[in-house]
Amino acid sequence: MRRVAVIGVGVTKFGLHDRTSAELFAEAARDALNDSGVPASAVQALYYGNVVGGETEHQLHTGPQAASVLGIPAVPTTRFETACASSHAAFRHAVMEIAAGVSDVVLVGGAERVLNVSTAESTEYFAYASDAVWEQPLGLTFPGVFALIARAHMQKHGTTEAQMAAVAVKNHRHGALNPKAQFQKPITIEQVLKSAYVADPLKLFDCCPFSDGGAALVLASEEVARKHRKPIWVLGSAAASDWMLLGDKRDLSRVPATERAAAAAYRQAGIGPTDVDVVELHDCFTIAEIVATEGLGLFEPGAGGRAAEKGLTGLGGEIPVNPSGGLKAKGHPIGATGAAQVAEIVTQLRGEAGPRQVEGARKGLTHTLGGNTATVLVSLFGRD
Amino acid sequence: MTEPAITARAFFEKARAGQLTAIRCSSCGELSIPPRELCPNCHAQSWQPVVLAGDGTIASFTVIRVAPRAHAADVPYAIAVVQLKEGVSLLGRIVDIPLEKLVVGLPVRFRPLIGKDLTTSVGFGPA
Repeated sequence: MRRVAVIGVGVTKFGLHDRTSAELFAEAARDALNDSGVPASAVQALYYGNVVGGETEHQLHTGPQAASVLGIPAVPTTRFETACASSHAAFRHAVMEIAAGVSDVVLVGGAERVLNVSTAESTEYFAYASDAVWEQPLGLTFPGVFALIARAHMQKHGTTEAQMAAVAVKNHRHGALNPKAQFQKPITIEQVLKSAYVADPLKLFDCCPFSDGGAALVLASEEVARKHRKPIWVLGSAAASDWMLLGDKRDLSRVPATERAAAAAYRQAGIGPTDVDVVELHDCFTIAEIVATEGLGLFEPGAGGRAAEKGLTGLGGEIPVNPSGGLKAKGHPIGATGAAQVAEIVTQLRGEAGPRQVEGARKGLTHTLGGNTATVLVSLFGRD
Repeated sequence: MTEPAITARAFFEKARAGQLTAIRCSSCGELSIPPRELCPNCHAQSWQPVVLAGDGTIASFTVIRVAPRAHAADVPYAIAVVQLKEGVSLLGRIVDIPLEKLVVGLPVRFRPLIGKDLTTSVGFGPA
């Protein structure tokens, strides 16, 4: 298998936009191509993530739609849908296409537009990623899924609402350092704890926002990457799945798909959790960050809440998590998130993250979770 | 070609009549509520329907306060993962239990929920 590098990244500002998801992707892809220095004519495939285009934009076939709006209509294009992990799944398949020798330059990206519909509508559309026969008829929501996980984690490990709030405060502090973030204002523990319950025990400030936005990456084979500036190498990229139904999951305080994907990615890279300097992980809800830090092996099972409270995951801490502000503050345009996380890690490993730079970062990890924890992808990156 | 031991449609028809059904693997004894073709434990293709008692305890619960459009009139409402005494778990809507009385470990009992559109879903009420 050939080595694969990320040689270009582009991300739109996240938040409210008056453009289609295809337009948002096209802006990010233009920036990624310019960043890489590779001409658009060199792109041999587009792997694209988009989730609720059919619902919010009445748009299916969003892959070729995005390629057409970018201006590369003849490139073979496939849209991936693994709920919130869609563009990370697209990324992994692009890595495999280059590693296998099929292509030398592949564009990866994703975009989402949801702020053109009401919160009640987007809540319903996101719930489509849970089971339509067994769960949706009960009125289950995504905050509800993670509230069930939070309660189980609190019951088993004594995790507190204040520990979860510490995750939100930390990620907003980081987001204030990111000019692309949807929220760029610090918040306090009291603000989180006093915010209204959305799905007990999760409150409004435990939840990431609905967001519009796009992200894109240029991936290249080693031969092409060597001709460009600062290639960031893909050291491993793995996916894992798990039961769809919450009732089938044996222990709601854990996300087995995170543990399996992480084990596979670490094995591919030949490194372990202690070798990682910076992490972008899927904090769709504060409890999701706590459970992910445990599943990735950064902390022991049950220790994630205390670690967050002690500040171990903040910039300057033992292992900085979500320097971009994470989904919580940077925003979560679900089709774009996986690619945007990679863009942040590439920026960090290049040493170009400005005030949110993790000093001397050499190895980074991205973790993206789909929907009800039934999909997880983990990738590892390193610089020369 | 053989028909499945039970389909999702048949599960909800029986649930409507108050009966909670599962399937048991004839080969390894694995119990499952949602119908499947293959046993996820041993991959055998031989299921037998079994009737469950409907008794269980709350493994985790939440109170939904921001709902999808179809459920907006119901808020606040509780959803729980219930571990049934036979060992399998099932997600259901909590009914006739005050929200402030909900705790992990609370005994509950299955009851069918008939929606306004006459569809059946899983509910759990006081034991």
